[in-house]
Amino acid sequence: MSREYEKPTEVFKPHNSADVEPIENATTLSTSGRLISYNDQLKDSLENGYNFTKLLDQLITTTSTEELFEAAQALSTYQLDTAYLTFPQQYSQSDFYLIFINRLLALHDRERVILQSSDRYNELYHEFPGINSAGYFIFKLENTVQGGAYYTEKTTGEALFYLNFEKHVLRFNSRAVTQLLLVEYHEKISQDAIKGFENYLLDIGNFLKEDYGFDVDFTLLDPSNSAVYQLADPNLPNSIIDRLFVEAANGGRMLELGENSSPILKLDSGTVIELFEQHNYEDDSDLGWGIKVYDQQHKIGWFDVLLRYEFLRSWYLENLNTLEIQSDALYFN
Amino acid sequence: MANSNTVSDREHVQATQELSKAVANKIRYLQTLATAIDNKDDRLVYQLIDGDRYSEQIVQAKHGSADTDNENLVSDIAAKLGQYLSANLLAYLAETYPFFYFEQIGLGKFQFYFGNWWDRRLFGELDVIKVQFIFDSTEYEKLRRAFELEGQSKRLNSDKISMLSSQADQLQALIDSQEQRDAEKEKTRLQLKKLAQEKVMPWEASKAKEAKQQLINQLSNLTEQDEKAQDAYRLIKDNEKKVLELSKEDTLIGYEKQSIIAKFGSFDAFEARCESLYRDYIADLIATNGRKNTNE
Repeated sequence: MSREYEKPTEVFKPHNSADVEPIENATTLSTSGRLISYNDQLKDSLENGYNFTKLLDQLITTTSTEELFEAAQALSTYQLDTAYLTFPQQYSQSDFYLIFINRLLALHDRERVILQSSDRYNELYHEFPGINSAGYFIFKLENTVQGGAYYTEKTTGEALFYLNFEKHVLRFNSRAVTQLLLVEYHEKISQDAIKGFENYLLDIGNFLKEDYGFDVDFTLLDPSNSAVYQLADPNLPNSIIDRLFVEAANGGRMLELGENSSPILKLDSGTVIELFEQHNYEDDSDLGWGIKVYDQQHKIGWFDVLLRYEFLRSWYLENLNTLEIQSDALYFN
Repeated sequence: MANSNTVSDREHVQATQELSKAVANKIRYLQTLATAIDNKDDRLVYQLIDGDRYSEQIVQAKHGSADTDNENLVSDIAAKLGQYLSANLLAYLAETYPFFYFEQIGLGKFQFYFGNWWDRRLFGELDVIKVQFIFDSTEYEKLRRAFELEGQSKRLNSDKISMLSSQADQLQALIDSQEQRDAEKEKTRLQLKKLAQEKVMPWEASKAKEAKQQLINQLSNLTEQDEKAQDAYRLIKDNEKKVLELSKEDTLIGYEKQSIIAKFGSFDAFEARCESLYRDYIADLIATNGRKNTNE
């Protein structure tokens, strides 16, 4: 779990330090003035280190969701090393995101993902029971001014979601979710395990929303009936709906006409899918096509039906260029 | 003169009486119709507006109570009559033909679709006055043919689809064999080159010429296939589109067949019911006391 640096701890030499920022006009100080200044720097650095350990304590042991968030947010950007004091054994900032996720779920009694450490790569990672044979997950820091981090499957590089503590933003990536869970894992992993993983992702989104008021975009995972899954391509050719009509018939379902003459598909246990053209009546503009999924319990989203019904999955994947559900273009492209 | 005047007077009286009688007859006709409408007695309305059809279908008499001249009195309000009569008729049809979906296109005018599925077919119009379907002949014929093909366990477009698929296979093979063709072309060119360099004895000249021609033919044949392969991608795409259209039609007709079988058991039974629609409907009006319940 701990990280070993090949470099030994740097020792600060007061007279030989090009990389030390002069705090006061050092050249004008007397020798004792220099010593005092040096000592103050050390004290500050130790204080900084001590402060870090308090935050880490808080991250690991607190039972308050508020305190947990504070600690994670602070640690995710914490500069532990100073010019006067460096720590050879450290976790990377991205590791605190992983710890945060585990602790958050644990506080809700929903911890299912396992936090592991890799000695080989000196990193923490997430392993999900049932799909651990196919890959593992880490956070990749976004190093631009945007900040935040991407939850990424290490072997494929698929970034499932973007998380930003500062902005209180969580964005799922429909393309990566589709590619990883519906294509990569389709043959290898059982449907139950994939479903379990989906629930885990939904938990993360729901807890961030409920506990901290995050702005969450679930994209195709959103189980709410009011969710509109916006198709990335605003022009849905009729031939693609024709194809659904034919494939649904082969799958024993009928693509019917709904109240507004938009195509609807009735699935098991009262689940209904509707494809419809969105129109903005205020400025009389077309907003392209969207998909809605209704079910009485508000538990089923577009992803769920793709996972469950093979004819829908193959239709969606074969026409992905047109049908792909939009993700926030600010974070994914 | 006076005499003829008297005759004329008598004639005039007679004329007056006859006219008055004729007008009274028309008034009586219209009065009966008005009362029938007031009483929502649709059966009587049908009898009054087309007596021929009524007696032929219901009384099964060739010469019935037809009152064609009076019927002409209402010919210019046929649309209004149709609009009035459609209320009960549509309710009846919704029960009898649950898979027909009617749409009003004008006063007393209705068209109908087969089914409520995606891209359902417009299947015809309804003649409310005659109580009969005017099927779209093209669409109807497709359905009839599909039932006919059932015996061979084929769908309407099975043959066309399998033809298009085998075409697509050939096109794909043409694309896949490009490398092989390239190798063959190379080989043929080398042979040609060799042939050109060989010394030919005069008595072998015609044989050599023939061999050369053969190689040239082979080469142009291969190039021709190359050109076809160039076009194959586009053709395969076109092909896919056509197959989709045909499969869609098969799917649509499949649903239509299912609907008919679920309700009538067979296509013949369906046709027979359409044939007797007028009779069945009038009988239903009698049995349900004019379907007044649906109106109130």
